[in-house]
Amino acid sequence: MPDDIPGFDHRVAGGSVPALDSDITLTLPARPENIALVRHAIGALGAGIRLPKATVDDMRLAVTEACTNVVRHAYSDHDGRIEVVIRPDGEAINVIVSDHGRGLGSSPDVAGPGLGLSLIAALTDRLEIDHAPQKGSRLLMAFLRRRNAHPVGAV
Amino acid sequence: MSGLQPGAGSEGAAARSSAGESPTSVSIAIGPLVGPVLRRVVGMLAARADLPLDRLDDAVLVADLIAARAPAHVTTERIDVALEPGQRRLALRVGPLRDGGGKALIVDAAVPGVGNVIEQLADSVEVTSGGPEPGEFLNVRLAYNNGGT
Repeated sequence: MPDDIPGFDHRVAGGSVPALDSDITLTLPARPENIALVRHAIGALGAGIRLPKATVDDMRLAVTEACTNVVRHAYSDHDGRIEVVIRPDGEAINVIVSDHGRGLGSSPDVAGPGLGLSLIAALTDRLEIDHAPQKGSRLLMAFLRRRNAHPVGAV
Repeated sequence: MSGLQPGAGSEGAAARSSAGESPTSVSIAIGPLVGPVLRRVVGMLAARADLPLDRLDDAVLVADLIAARAPAHVTTERIDVALEPGQRRLALRVGPLRDGGGKALIVDAAVPGVGNVIEQLADSVEVTSGGPEPGEFLNVRLAYNNGGT
């Protein structure tokens, strides 16, 4: 096992909390099973930089909703990809979920307005949405590392 | 990296991937998160590929070795890994690496008293270059066969 092998120093050692001074990019086929993969990566991030469990839970749920939107609505008639970027920004961690699909808007396969974006807005400390028809969408979700700090913006 | 061949009777996500779907890729800036994130991604894709527990453990160990050793051999400040799960197999492509980095990464994966872990665990290890992307790439393939690995 890795624990027995000398030279493995990349793990988070007890007592030190590494700063998130790097970014992570995941590029995946827009399929339901890959949403769990993103959730796992966020779990690894949260454990690696010792984020509060509540923050990690909020990140997971918000990103799950964002990725689910892509899987369900972005590519109606062809395969496509999701890109998830996790990037530090001062006291916040930004998670950007983007696609190159049809953009946001009413979807023919949904009867009424969904709760996804409202839920994401409630879970994040800042939410930015960019989209254009047939050019894709981009959701930037900011999560403060310390949730009792001042919010970094408004929805 | 060559596409994976569908296994007999393969269905679901692994079969779709092996049918030519573009791979999952992860790109992590060099730092303390490379190992934790890469091992989770590899572990989950190995499970999805229906690798048995011992081979899943092997895949995670290979991921840990890549995370620990690859930073010295990449051309940028990032570790890039493309992953293709198939039916009871998982392929990883690490790179771009600097010239000679593929071989050097394999050599660096040797552990005193154990030998070269990647070469021992993988079904195939290959260094490629000269494709559309500059640099070298280390291609590692893990599989499970009933008759052995």
